[in-house]
This record gives sequence, structure tokens and C-alpha cells, in this order.
Amino acid sequence: MKAKLLAYTPLKPLREVSGGQDWRSLLPHLGYTFAVEKISRACSHQLVRHRVASFSQQSQRYITVKRLAERVVTPPSVETAGAAEFNKLVEEVCEAYQRLVEQGVPKEDARFILPNASETSLLMTMDGRSLLHFFGLRCCNRAQWEIRALADRILEEARAAEPDVFNEAGPYCYQLGYCPEGRFTCGRMQEAMGMYRP
Amino acid sequence: MRITLVAHTPDVEVMVATSMLTTTSGAQPITLYERLHTNPEKVREVVGRLEVQHGNVLEHNRLIWVVEATRDQVMDVMLDTRYLTFTKLGDERWLMSGNLRTVAEYAHQKNTEFTKKLVESVRDAAPTIHSYIRRGAK
Repeated sequence: MKAKLLAYTPLKPLREVSGGQDWRSLLPHLGYTFAVEKISRACSHQLVRHRVASFSQQSQRYITVKRLAERVVTPPSVETAGAAEFNKLVEEVCEAYQRLVEQGVPKEDARFILPNASETSLLMTMDGRSLLHFFGLRCCNRAQWEIRALADRILEEARAAEPDVFNEAGPYCYQLGYCPEGRFTCGRMQEAMGMYRP
Repeated sequence: MRITLVAHTPDVEVMVATSMLTTTSGAQPITLYERLHTNPEKVREVVGRLEVQHGNVLEHNRLIWVVEATRDQVMDVMLDTRYLTFTKLGDERWLMSGNLRTVAEYAHQKNTEFTKKLVESVRDAAPTIHSYIRRGAK
């Protein structure tokens, strides 16, 4: 998995023209574009649920999936138990996909058998406010491991570019000073807050 | 009504081209961006094929304007398109932002003094896309 901030609109010129507005009110005007590479389709499905954002994702209609076995994301839990079964099925799907394409089935139909583990890459653009919300939810201990790892990498990139804005970003417990997860709280708020303090 | 572009995502057209090729080429987006960054001719060529693409390739940018307008004028714009974001800066002075897709679709749907100024304001930031928008503008 890779995440890189390709371009963004800096806060500074907006602060200058806005004449002392609180920087938080300027967040919806700031745009951040990230390249995200080699995540699973399962992860990208979660990502696109953040609707106040724009995505351009590799298309399985146009791009033939070659060597699927080398282009899947394997969850750590599967690596420790069930790797043989997982890999066997991926091999079988890979062969079936190739056979379908060779038999003349269009890629847009052959892809129906591809697994959620298939690797994908995309561009993602979010405004500053949506990005803070994304970090609030996806850096949380309760988030699924892959999107959490992705959110952490995106946060690193954002902090390096705009520390004044994103040093305050992280899971909601870190942003708010309390956990909004109610009875689902992980109970490790101090630990999480320590992890995200710059 | 006065409108001034005060900031925008750098290299807007490089990003549009990267987005177009990410969806269809099979190459990784970081590699594409780095290659396109040093090849303005290729960027113009790719962005020139914009008509055949889905509009979302125009969304990977942010343009920010200072607008001098009355509340009623701003309200009219907000009722026309929900994809422009406004913050009040002072008396009849507003910060407005959006992306190139919004500019293109607004100009293609309505011909007003405001949409003409909006389109003209992106000429330097995105010259090829500016021509594309003008060709399709009402």
C-alpha cells in the first residue's frame, strides 16, 4: 500500500485574503489530492463511502487483470491461518478469469468473478473538513485494519504538508478529547491520543 | 459582481491527465503524475481527449475565488449550483470555491455574466480545459 499527497491548496493565501477568519472556517475551501496505490477493492469500497470526495479508480472494464495471484491484498489474519485455502481460490479465480477473457467474454463481464482482495489504485480528492472527518473515523482503533493503515499514511502526508492544520487531526478521541463511540469504545483512549500526538 | 481567482491546486491539467490515465491505462497514479509532470505536450494531448471521459476527472482540483457581490446575487448562484462553497468575508465580500467540473457544468447549463467571468478566471490555471469549456458553453 502506498499513499502520496500529489497536490493541495495551501492555507496561507486564504488566510491572507480572508482577513483573520478562523482557519477552521476555511477548511471546506482547501483541496487535497492523494494517489493511493495497491489497496484491496474491499478497502476502496469503504473509501468511497466518504461521499464528499472525488475518486478516479483503475477501471476493470479497461484494464485486464494479469497475474491476479501477485495482485491481491492478503489480510494478516489469513497469512497466519488459511493462507493455503486463500491462495488456492485466488489461483482458480485467476485461471477462470483468463479463460473467460480468452473465450471472448468482455473484461467488464469477466471481472464479475474477481475477489474483493483484488488490488486497485486510485486518485482521491477531499476538502479539508472532509479529510478531518475521514481521519476521525478511520484512524480510530475500531476501524478495519486496511483502511486504518491507509488513513494513517494519508495523515502522515497531510501533516508533512500542512502541520498547522493536521497536527490536530487523528481519531475522534484525539480531535475531541473524548470518545464518541459510546458503548463500542475501545477503552484505550489515552494510548490512542499518545500515538497521534506529533 | 466581481470575481478573482486567488488560489488553486497547482498543475491542474497535469492532475486531470493523471486522473484520465489512472482509470484506463493500468499504470500506477504516482508514476503517471511524475511522468506527466515533465511532459507538458503529453498533458495537452491527453487533456485534449476530455470529451470522451467521465466528468469526475475534472474534480481533482480546488479553485478559490474572492467574489464581490450582494447577498441576492450569491443566493442566485447557490440556487443554480450546490457544488460551490461560500464563506462570508465581509460586506458583499465572499470566499467561494469549487472544482473545474462545477465550472464546466455551470457554464454549459447557464449563460450569465457570472458564468462568463467564472470561465475566464480559469484561463491561466487550465488553458486547455478553458478552451473545452468555452466550446461547450451556452
